[in-house]
Amino acid sequence: MRILKIEGGNGHFCANGEEFVSIDKLDKDSLLKLVELALTQEVEMDDYDSETLKNEAHRIIYRSVHKKLQELVARKDEFFDKSEREFYEIYENYKNS
Amino acid sequence: MKKVDFHIHTIPSVRDADFVFSMDTLTRYVHERSLDAIAITNHDLFDLSQFIQIDKQIDVPVLPGIEINMQSGHLLVIDNPDRLDDFQEKADKIRAIIKTVEDHVTFEKLTEIYGDLGEYLIIPHYQKKPAISGDELNLILPYISAAEVDSPKKFVRMWNDTNQTTPVLFSDMRIKENLTKFSSRSTYIDCGELAVKKIKACLRDKTKVFLSPLDGNKLFEALPNGQMISTGLNVILGGRSTGKTVTLKNIAEQMYDPLHIEQFDLVQKEEELDKRLFEEAVTRDKSHVEENHLLPFKDVVDRVLSIDLAENEKEVSDYVDSLMKSASESALRDAFSNTAIFDETTFPVSSDDTLKALIRSTQQLVENVEYRKIIEKHIDRSQLRKLACELIEERWRQEDEIRQKAVVNSLIGEIKQALDMKSAVAPISPVDLYRITLDKIRIERFTEIVNLLKCEKDIYDETIQDFRVVAKRGPFRGAQELHDKLARQASFTPAYRVYENPYQYLQELKCISALPNTEIYKYFAKIDYKILNNDGAEVSGGERSEFRLLQKIKRATVHDILLIDEPESGFDNIFLKTNVNQIIKDLSKTVPVVIVTHNSTIGASVGADYLLHTSKEYKDGKAIYKIYSGYPTDTYLTSLDGSNIENYSSTINALEAGVDAYKARSEFYENIKN
Repeated sequence: MRILKIEGGNGHFCANGEEFVSIDKLDKDSLLKLVELALTQEVEMDDYDSETLKNEAHRIIYRSVHKKLQELVARKDEFFDKSEREFYEIYENYKNS
Repeated sequence: MKKVDFHIHTIPSVRDADFVFSMDTLTRYVHERSLDAIAITNHDLFDLSQFIQIDKQIDVPVLPGIEINMQSGHLLVIDNPDRLDDFQEKADKIRAIIKTVEDHVTFEKLTEIYGDLGEYLIIPHYQKKPAISGDELNLILPYISAAEVDSPKKFVRMWNDTNQTTPVLFSDMRIKENLTKFSSRSTYIDCGELAVKKIKACLRDKTKVFLSPLDGNKLFEALPNGQMISTGLNVILGGRSTGKTVTLKNIAEQMYDPLHIEQFDLVQKEEELDKRLFEEAVTRDKSHVEENHLLPFKDVVDRVLSIDLAENEKEVSDYVDSLMKSASESALRDAFSNTAIFDETTFPVSSDDTLKALIRSTQQLVENVEYRKIIEKHIDRSQLRKLACELIEERWRQEDEIRQKAVVNSLIGEIKQALDMKSAVAPISPVDLYRITLDKIRIERFTEIVNLLKCEKDIYDETIQDFRVVAKRGPFRGAQELHDKLARQASFTPAYRVYENPYQYLQELKCISALPNTEIYKYFAKIDYKILNNDGAEVSGGERSEFRLLQKIKRATVHDILLIDEPESGFDNIFLKTNVNQIIKDLSKTVPVVIVTHNSTIGASVGADYLLHTSKEYKDGKAIYKIYSGYPTDTYLTSLDGSNIENYSSTINALEAGVDAYKARSEFYENIKN
């Protein structure tokens, strides 16, 4: 699903899978939802482009969010790797016995 | 009876200090210790070619074996010598798994490699470190016919316990070059043919397994030359320079954990120094009283240590100032300050310790062996496992959420900083009012607790024979007392000035570099110890020695053996008779005791189970040291070379300076009486 897009010179995000909202309305709860989506779903994001993004405040927010979400997508597997987790051995032992 | 040692190392592994194997040492060991069979059990490996050489060289049966590092401890696996290639192949598989000291073999892997474990002689470390325990022991239990211990004391205790399996005691020695002192640990088994099947049948019957060839478990070999002593109470007698103290030291060397009270060890040498050292020793010895009493308070201090009230106040003040400023600048708001994230706060992030504790508790319920029957009576173990899994899943879910929030928080910080740079409006300072309020309440509670802690109270009272140890709690009465407690260069004067304000006092203590944060909790209330005698008065020099002796002896039960060299050197006969003798006799029922003495109050009245008489004799102008031994009722005491001495005359010589002196003393007392 597409979660970040640039349209009409402004940045937009979609945290609920339905509607896009202007990126200047992004708060911490929406941002947490975007992080979760990036880590759990196949997501698409428009690349950051300072030419098409006319609004300077949007540029600041879009660039940081886009960069961070891209990093998370790349390290998705590592993020949820349970083998290094606390209690992993007990869990495996109990689950299989 | 066959004397066996089925735990011998001949090759260093990752678990051993390096050593060079010597066939000569092994030959001497087997010969001097008169062993009837041995097993070669190196850590996680078996070397067929070396085994064949040993088997050729040693003229008693040699069994192939391996000591495997399991998850919880060590396990001996011993086989018949008729399928060595197969044993080598299996050992190689173990070796492939164990490459470092951290590696181990699971029970599943063990059975996968060895197949039916019933075909082997399986002996776990049991009352010996590292011991096989917990679930792993339960899995191995059906295959074992004996379990290894590390001292005669544990052997006897286990042998006498009908619920326990048969104990065995082996040397666990590294057979290296130039080894002169051998281990005296071995086991006697009443077994005809030394084949694995026969040995197993024999080991399963406790009445065929003993510490000595003729005296059951009443005696054991305490010295490598075969010298036996009692598993109860032994008295060593003998003239000056006949080797009594050396014998005691040699016995101590054979034990993993002896308690050896040397001659004059406990006697006062210099009044003032002795008094100070005694008080320090009692305080140190009773340090667990202080720690146990203050442990809950330590947790309180640990939480309060990180609270910075001044910083909290500054945070609130900065927040209010920035809020006022922002209100006054509302007209200046721009595209940057109008974004939602500009005024956004971060997520509070904290880990749920309760859930972690709950997982640990559930794990304990699943894995506890001691109370398993009671637990399983009420809760199904498979349900407990499922509960543990679900709690762990919930823990991981929370951890994921925390990590995601941490990502969001750092992103918010980064974006806000960039927006602040561009905006004309000053940002609102962050503040965590919840935490700040909680900190304030914590300090109030902390103050209440410290004030309660300073109230005077007796917190400990223990009676040891005729003495009482009393611990009293109260406030520190000056900076000097704080300084004395630390016993290092530091000034407590600034701290003591604010002693009445616990939070400020804590801040001052934090500034004392010589005082580690982990010890700060001990500096709020003082714990004083006093040792009082029967009359409630402080103890004298002689009483201090007596107290120390009783304290030491009392601790002997946790050791493998108690060795005391001439206790009469510092104590009067009344004390020895009324206090020491009975304690020693009682102790010897649970731990072997050896006393060296010249004193008739001990030697003749303590009720020895076994007598050893040391003697220096001359042969061809050369001094030779011998030990004659036997039961107190024996007419003769016998040495290892078969020679003997009369029990009566040697004992009366050692304790009473001979028959004539004894008679003269008796007459003297009769005359006084008359």
